[in-house]
Amino acid sequence: MNLVLAFALVVALFVVGPLLIVVPMSFSTATSFEFPPPGYWLGYYRAFFADARWTQPVINSIGIGLATMLLTILLVIPASFAMVRQRFFGRSAVNLMLMMPMIVPHIVMALGYYSYFSHLKIIHSPLGVVLAHTCLSVPVSYLIIAAALKGFDRNLERAAMNLGAGPLRTFWEVTFPVLRPGFLIGGLFAFIHSFDEAVVAIFISGQAASTLPRKMFDSIRIEADPIISVVSTLLFGVVLLAVISPLIWRVVVKRPV
Amino acid sequence: MVPPVGSAAIKSGSSDAKAWLLLLPALAFLAVFFLVPLGQVVFFSVMDPGFTLKHYTSFLSDSFYWRVLWGTFQTAGIVTIFALLMSYPLAYMIVRMGGHFATVMLLIIAMSFWTSFLVRTFAWMVILGNNGPLRAILEAFGWSPAPQLLFTRFSSTLAMVHLLIPFMVLALYSVMKKIDMNFVRAARSLGATPFQAFHRVFLPLSAPGIVNGCTLVFIMCLGFYVTPVLLGSPREQMIAGLIGTQIEEFLEFGEASATSVILLLVTLAIFAIYNRFVGLDKLWG
Amino acid sequence: MTALDSRANSAARGMLAGENGTMTKAYLEIRDLVKSYDGWQKAVRGISLDIQKGEFVSFLGPSGSGKTTTLMMVAGFEKPTAGSIRLGGREIAPVPPHQRNIGMVFQNYALFPHMTAAENVGFPLRMRKRPAAEIAKRARDALAMVGLADFAGRQPRELSGGQQQRVALARALVFEPDVLLLDEPLGALDKNLREHMQVEIKRIHRELGITTIYVTHDQTEAMTMSDRIAVFSQGAVEQFAPPLDVYLRPATRFVGGFVGDSNFLDVTRGTDGGLTAAGLGALDLPAPEGDRFHGLIRPEAIGVWRGGEAGEHCIVSFTVEALVNYGDSVLLIGGGHGLSLRARIPFVQATDIHEGNTLQLAWRRRDMHLIPA
Ligand SMILES: Nc1ncnc2c1ncn2[C@@H]1O[C@H](COP(=O)(O)OP(=O)(O)OP(=O)(O)O)[C@@H](O)[C@H]1O
Ligand SMILES: [Mg+2]
Repeated sequence: MNLVLAFALVVALFVVGPLLIVVPMSFSTATSFEFPPPGYWLGYYRAFFADARWTQPVINSIGIGLATMLLTILLVIPASFAMVRQRFFGRSAVNLMLMMPMIVPHIVMALGYYSYFSHLKIIHSPLGVVLAHTCLSVPVSYLIIAAALKGFDRNLERAAMNLGAGPLRTFWEVTFPVLRPGFLIGGLFAFIHSFDEAVVAIFISGQAASTLPRKMFDSIRIEADPIISVVSTLLFGVVLLAVISPLIWRVVVKRPV
Repeated sequence: MVPPVGSAAIKSGSSDAKAWLLLLPALAFLAVFFLVPLGQVVFFSVMDPGFTLKHYTSFLSDSFYWRVLWGTFQTAGIVTIFALLMSYPLAYMIVRMGGHFATVMLLIIAMSFWTSFLVRTFAWMVILGNNGPLRAILEAFGWSPAPQLLFTRFSSTLAMVHLLIPFMVLALYSVMKKIDMNFVRAARSLGATPFQAFHRVFLPLSAPGIVNGCTLVFIMCLGFYVTPVLLGSPREQMIAGLIGTQIEEFLEFGEASATSVILLLVTLAIFAIYNRFVGLDKLWG
Repeated sequence: MTALDSRANSAARGMLAGENGTMTKAYLEIRDLVKSYDGWQKAVRGISLDIQKGEFVSFLGPSGSGKTTTLMMVAGFEKPTAGSIRLGGREIAPVPPHQRNIGMVFQNYALFPHMTAAENVGFPLRMRKRPAAEIAKRARDALAMVGLADFAGRQPRELSGGQQQRVALARALVFEPDVLLLDEPLGALDKNLREHMQVEIKRIHRELGITTIYVTHDQTEAMTMSDRIAVFSQGAVEQFAPPLDVYLRPATRFVGGFVGDSNFLDVTRGTDGGLTAAGLGALDLPAPEGDRFHGLIRPEAIGVWRGGEAGEHCIVSFTVEALVNYGDSVLLIGGGHGLSLRARIPFVQATDIHEGNTLQLAWRRRDMHLIPA
């Protein structure tokens, strides 16, 4: 048992170790990827924030992510209501359709979008990336929102109607507020999915609409630009914050006075 | 007096219409922006400019492509096996120990899970690089000069194992945490050794997690683009990388499409097998 | 409390059926109600009930017998496949649920999780566009009525099960509904709390005099609370009668078996026209119509026969096969003469009885109730 535990700890170390290495790299003075760093400074942070070739993709990614999120939940919420609440002929086929973008390898879709969007003249535009990312975000968002909907107690709606609320008021006063967290999480996942998506973006976002993952990909592959370590550290920092903040919250708030 | 409401037929008819109305936006959107481009890939794979199967025949008759396909399978298999062997003990200890240990381990897994593939790939780039710590360590142990690590099959396989372990751990964990430990205790009370109890009781009960995790990891590996392209050997591409090259360097849409269709078919076949024996809804249940 | 009081008075002005000898026209009339969810099997198969204004009616029956389905149709959440529901003489089938003015307490309470107790209770008044001051006051009064005046600002998840239950009750009553429906409202509570709430609900019913339908599968609850009980089985009502009638004079064998513990004897009409029971001989009972009956005799109506004049008693010899001690009483299980019987006797009379003993049991002939087979 101790042996298993030791092995588990080694695996855990293998999982975190490489993540942590990007942090010192970002403060390194080296001009290429070199570890341990020959010296430390903040120069590349300054360079990152001053360089539009880096900041623009960040802005693009955030904008594209937000648009994707909005579009995705607008499509997925009504679809989830139909899938969870109605029994109709063809339901399982529709279910498969909604999950399909998760099944098809992204590189295949990248090729499809590349030629299709060239044809539609929306290649290398944010619009094209948003449309593609929305398709790819539908499954994850659908899974979350449909699960929230399945967990929703329909007696709440019955109670509202019983107490005098019409169908529309029931939706706005009860159904929507109760489900809002689920909708938001579904949207958040769409955002994250878009923000992280690399393959399709590499092929269709181009220079003009370049997303951050595409810029990072190019930077690693072509330029070996040390600023990548700054971006990596910042992204890792955001994740770290998001993952441990509930924990910190719990410790701080629940600490006995 | 109003007639008794709703014959079953009328009722189900109107609810069908309602369902389709609610589904219309999503289905129309997916049809136009998902099915059409996907269909185009299939279409271009058999057109040049008229109907032809030459992209497939050239793919299937060229040993280079077979090597890519076989290499991709091999890599995916190796990554899956290593990810499983490393993840299973970790997931097991998480459910067995619980408490702070579990919290910390799940935190680590979540951290890795949510960190962009590109960030993690970059980290491996540094670690395995020519001026990186791993070669320095090897050389310190007297393996000098240390072998080239980056841009080999080893580097991309190692990085993919690292990248996909969180998926495997989560797939295993979600099944394991539902296993009632009383089964194991019962087995022990009936005379099983700890190992027998694990082997005869816990392991079979965790099998759905193993199947899910392996399917997920294997499929993700098959279509993996970013990491093999950045870290792997340019001479031993995986199939996704090959598609990328066909598009970017040669603008060979016909060939790229045929390769894509083959990748798609392989992927769909695995999903179909999974669906046949387990049920697709369980994969992301 | 003014609004609730005025209601209470009007309701209390007595419209209980039969109280003044005349049967007033029913307030809630359910006629030949049928419900099929799939167009094939019937969850409810032609139920007819006449419920008087102010009456407290229980729906009692095993799981899946159609109680909730019937309630849902009254509340308007399910459309009847056939049949009609009239409230105060008006057909309510075309009225959507939110316009029916029928209060309902759900089994899991269905309190809105994003609103406080007071907001929950105020909700129906807000839907009715009452002025804010009135809403606040009436919500407060309603919460006070259920003893939760101090909990107005709490979220549902900050309330105990019993408190949530009360909030749900206050919410269902605050808008002065014409009918109150409760679907197993106490099912999730522990025994003590359940008994406490039974008393509470009866008190509120007495104060407000509101027509109430109470769904339960707990027979004691139905017996102690109701004016009348409708016993459900497989989508039909087997009997609709006051509690004592249901207990002492069940209309069907199902009712006799479902409510309370029971012995059933096969009773047939002999060649001479009198009734005989297998293993007992002539019963010497007034014979109703019919040739075959189930003779119901409650275990607690059977006692140990210590000798003497048989008179109006039926006496059987009985061998004890098993003996279950309940503390205050003892259940004897056994039989004789091809008859199997359960008898429940006070503990003090059973101290000298053991398994394997043979003794004489007796009951008064008129304590046997005959149900046509
Ligand atoms: N929404 C539904 N769709 C299909 N069948 C249903 C539905 N609701 C109830 N039924 C069926 O109708 C029958 C009656 O169910 P109902 O819920 O009315 O029983 P009940 O008497 O309330 O039982 P319980 O005491 O368990 O609550 C059951 O056979 C049930 O399976
Ligand atoms: Mg029910």
